[in-house]
Amino acid sequence: MASKPKPPQMALHKVIMVGSGGVGKSALTLQFMYDEFVEDYEPTKADSYRKKVVLDGEEVQIDILDTAGQEDYAAIRDNYFRSGEGFLCVFSITEQESFAATADFREQILRVKNDENIPFLLVGNKCDLFDKRQVTIETATAKAGEWNVPYVETSAKTRQNVDKVFFDLMCEIRDRKKEETAKPDGKKNKKTKKEGKRKKKCVIL
Amino acid sequence: MKQYGVEMARFTSAKMNKFRRKLSSLGGSTDKDAVVSKIELQNRRLSSISANGMDEEKLIVKGQLIKAASLEKLAMLCVDCFDDAGELHDNPFFPRMVFLMHKWFVSSEELAALFINLYQTRDKSICKSPCQHKPLDQNCRLNRFKTRVCYTVRSWISEFPMHFDLDPSLAREIRSLQELTCKDSANNHKLLVDISNLPSYDWMRAVSVRNSVKRSHKVSLVFDHLEPHELAEQITVLEYKIFRRISFSDFRNYAIHGKLQDNPRLERSIMLFNGLSLWVQCMVLSKSTPQYRAQVITKFVNVAKALRQLQNFNSLMAVVGGLSHSSIARLTKTASHLPAEINKALHEMTEMLSSNGNFANYRKQLSECKGFKIPILGVHLKDLIALHTALHDKVENGLLNIRKMAQLAVVFNELIQLQSTSPDIEANMDLINTLKVSLDLQYSEEEIYELSLAREPRESASAPPTPIPSEKPVFADWASGITPTLDSDTLKKHVHAMVEAVYKNYDHDRDGYISHQEFDSIAGNFPFIDSFGILDADHFARQLKTFDEVKHVDGMISKEEMKMYFIRANCHALSCGFRHDFVETTYFKPTYCEHCSGLLWGLIKQGWKCRDCAISCHKHCKELVVVECRPRGSVSSGPQSSNTSLLQDTDTSRATSADEQPSPRGTERRRQSSRLRHLASVHQSTQTVKDSGISLMDSASSVNLNLEYNDDEVFVDEDVSSLRDRLRQSEEARAKLASENKMLQTELASAHDRIKLLQSHIGQIRQHTVSFILDQMDILKMQRDTECFTDLPGTK
Repeated sequence: MASKPKPPQMALHKVIMVGSGGVGKSALTLQFMYDEFVEDYEPTKADSYRKKVVLDGEEVQIDILDTAGQEDYAAIRDNYFRSGEGFLCVFSITEQESFAATADFREQILRVKNDENIPFLLVGNKCDLFDKRQVTIETATAKAGEWNVPYVETSAKTRQNVDKVFFDLMCEIRDRKKEETAKPDGKKNKKTKKEGKRKKKCVIL
Repeated sequence: MKQYGVEMARFTSAKMNKFRRKLSSLGGSTDKDAVVSKIELQNRRLSSISANGMDEEKLIVKGQLIKAASLEKLAMLCVDCFDDAGELHDNPFFPRMVFLMHKWFVSSEELAALFINLYQTRDKSICKSPCQHKPLDQNCRLNRFKTRVCYTVRSWISEFPMHFDLDPSLAREIRSLQELTCKDSANNHKLLVDISNLPSYDWMRAVSVRNSVKRSHKVSLVFDHLEPHELAEQITVLEYKIFRRISFSDFRNYAIHGKLQDNPRLERSIMLFNGLSLWVQCMVLSKSTPQYRAQVITKFVNVAKALRQLQNFNSLMAVVGGLSHSSIARLTKTASHLPAEINKALHEMTEMLSSNGNFANYRKQLSECKGFKIPILGVHLKDLIALHTALHDKVENGLLNIRKMAQLAVVFNELIQLQSTSPDIEANMDLINTLKVSLDLQYSEEEIYELSLAREPRESASAPPTPIPSEKPVFADWASGITPTLDSDTLKKHVHAMVEAVYKNYDHDRDGYISHQEFDSIAGNFPFIDSFGILDADHFARQLKTFDEVKHVDGMISKEEMKMYFIRANCHALSCGFRHDFVETTYFKPTYCEHCSGLLWGLIKQGWKCRDCAISCHKHCKELVVVECRPRGSVSSGPQSSNTSLLQDTDTSRATSADEQPSPRGTERRRQSSRLRHLASVHQSTQTVKDSGISLMDSASSVNLNLEYNDDEVFVDEDVSSLRDRLRQSEEARAKLASENKMLQTELASAHDRIKLLQSHIGQIRQHTVSFILDQMDILKMQRDTECFTDLPGTK
């Protein structure tokens, strides 16, 4: 019972991109999905948001749900969020409003998932446009600290930190899943909030 | 969609071959305007224009021959699709795609100018034979080419007539083309490019939905009576009317900027979606028992089924989204009352609309639908944004990215098709007007969730409370997405239309009034709205009297009142409806908890009581109470509304802390306060009359003071004597009121005394009890001690 045999199929990590319109969620997603320049891209294909990656030597699948175009459909956000295992909460460092909106997204995600330790990264995108910066690193870091989540700045244009945010998030998701299966009472006990600080890099089995 | 892609590929390959032949036949000047196979060979990536699999690989590679082209070439390629008889041969989709999509890249005017250019300055060398290029000469190649250009324009006009109706500069260009044809005296050409008989697309200009025809037949406008399919049909009509207005440029702007600013048509559609979803949730949560909630859910599941039948996926998403929202999905007690088949149907529809596999299930179903259908706007907007992000408008050399055009065309075809089809549904404007107002809810996600928690509290008490940040960020307003808020003018308009509809259907004797019962059933369409008499009885009573409509106080409601009511009700926030203002209270009669129906036990401070609606409950139950707080009198509060009960009111309201009547105390307190306000206002107007009376004496004018229901209106149209009379009367009234006031004060004092007395009673009782308990404990202790004592030696 202690050593459960690994399920044969590849682990699937479900990541959801949230944030207001125009912050570059799709750009980040596409940059991560397609390493090279895309000449042909079909947005309607079923597997266009799924990718196999190697995470610490283990092959896993990532499934990204890009909420672009649906930011204003406030009423069904909830339904999307429910299926997510980890969240990249994106804002544009050139737009104060988009940063302000992250608080709202965070709140809603926490409510839907009912789990304060849900894998979550605060992502400041468009960091190549530093001359138009409206949100300082300090402000964003402080907000992330308040939420006890990492803050990363990215640029979908220069590809800076694009892989990092997705891989960091996947690591967190994986660790969370291991934690959950390691629980003695097989029950998926999500409400293990207060015990233990968040963030363990490795899991001791 | 995919078929379209394949067609494109097949077409382009055939086209290019033909094109090459043509090039060589024309002397084969190398073509710099279109990027062809050279680049193609370097590109080993399989085309996604066709996704039908590997067996078509050859075709795919060939299909990519046109990756990019200059604008001029694009126009030329379109013309080449048509033969001399105006038939499209190889593929009918290419010109259509260009007509549909050109606006992404250039203005329609520019494209039209290119066709004119082709018509005008075509190289005469096409026609090799000695020829006069006469307009009607069927053998003249140049002439035949001109005919093909005209056929191309004709096809544009017939495919997208709205372009020509809505874009004056495009229309101007085409008219100038027509003039050219006249100059050539080519009558056949002139007829082809004629745009004078186009239907009007005026409706696309207007943002709001106009009410077209008023139906004369009567329907029930009451939610409980509405058949699910009827509701679904009218939702579809509303959806259709709003959706089809979203123009090409609206979609384009949104895809590029990702913002709704200056995009009112798209915003309207999203508002409707969110409103519908919220309405579903509110209608469910407005019911107080799990059984009723399950009934409403069942109804909406049936509405959803009907929407699926109508192929209205957008509204379907909104309704199913509302039903599977966590505020509803978490209601396990309600779920246990749902019939199995309803659960199953809901589950199936949720699956169908799920975002899994990039909405694979939904995309499959949509592609299988024929005829009228409304796609899920959000999903396709995402596709547009992704495409726009992934592909550039122009490739190297500044050529237009035709692949992007083709891909976008696939998405746009879905979105635009509504502009040319219509649902086979008879619009019922009355119901639509009612819906419009009911869908305009102003509740936030948080409020809905709070309500859901109130309806069915979390199971385990140990469950941590929802982590809501203690300080509300000031900027939260920006971030909350599109909450369905209409500006007051629009709201008034909608309410007006709805009220008209209600009167048409319910005012049987056409006297402009309907009864309370009828009103109550209409209000049932709006969750959380109290029945008419309750919301603000005082306000309306006053209003009525000002309108001199006293005779209708007896339960009849006029149009004006109803409009005012709904406008007010719309501003009536949910949050105040369910928040009670509890205070710790001592009861002198056995009182039961409103929430768990258990006795409030103890001697003092047994429970908590709401200051406004006077419900009582345990300390630990007070967070869980699900009763709406109805401060302004409730249906059960009985007949203490008449003026004569003033004294009585004061009496009971002073007994607040030592309460004797468990039920409607808070109500009366409110009533009294409003009465005092009234009194104050009367007093004030008396003052006014005095002042103005003195100054108006000479001018022989007078003041008409309507003491009974006047607030601030003073009429100056009677003579001095009557003014004096009035003055005297009002003085008398004042004196009377003052004496009443005194009486009230004495009553108050005596009530205070009584409280004191009662409190001392309590103190005594408590003392007695405490000493009694202490005595008992002493006795018990003594007993135990002696027992221990006697036991001890035994065990040792």
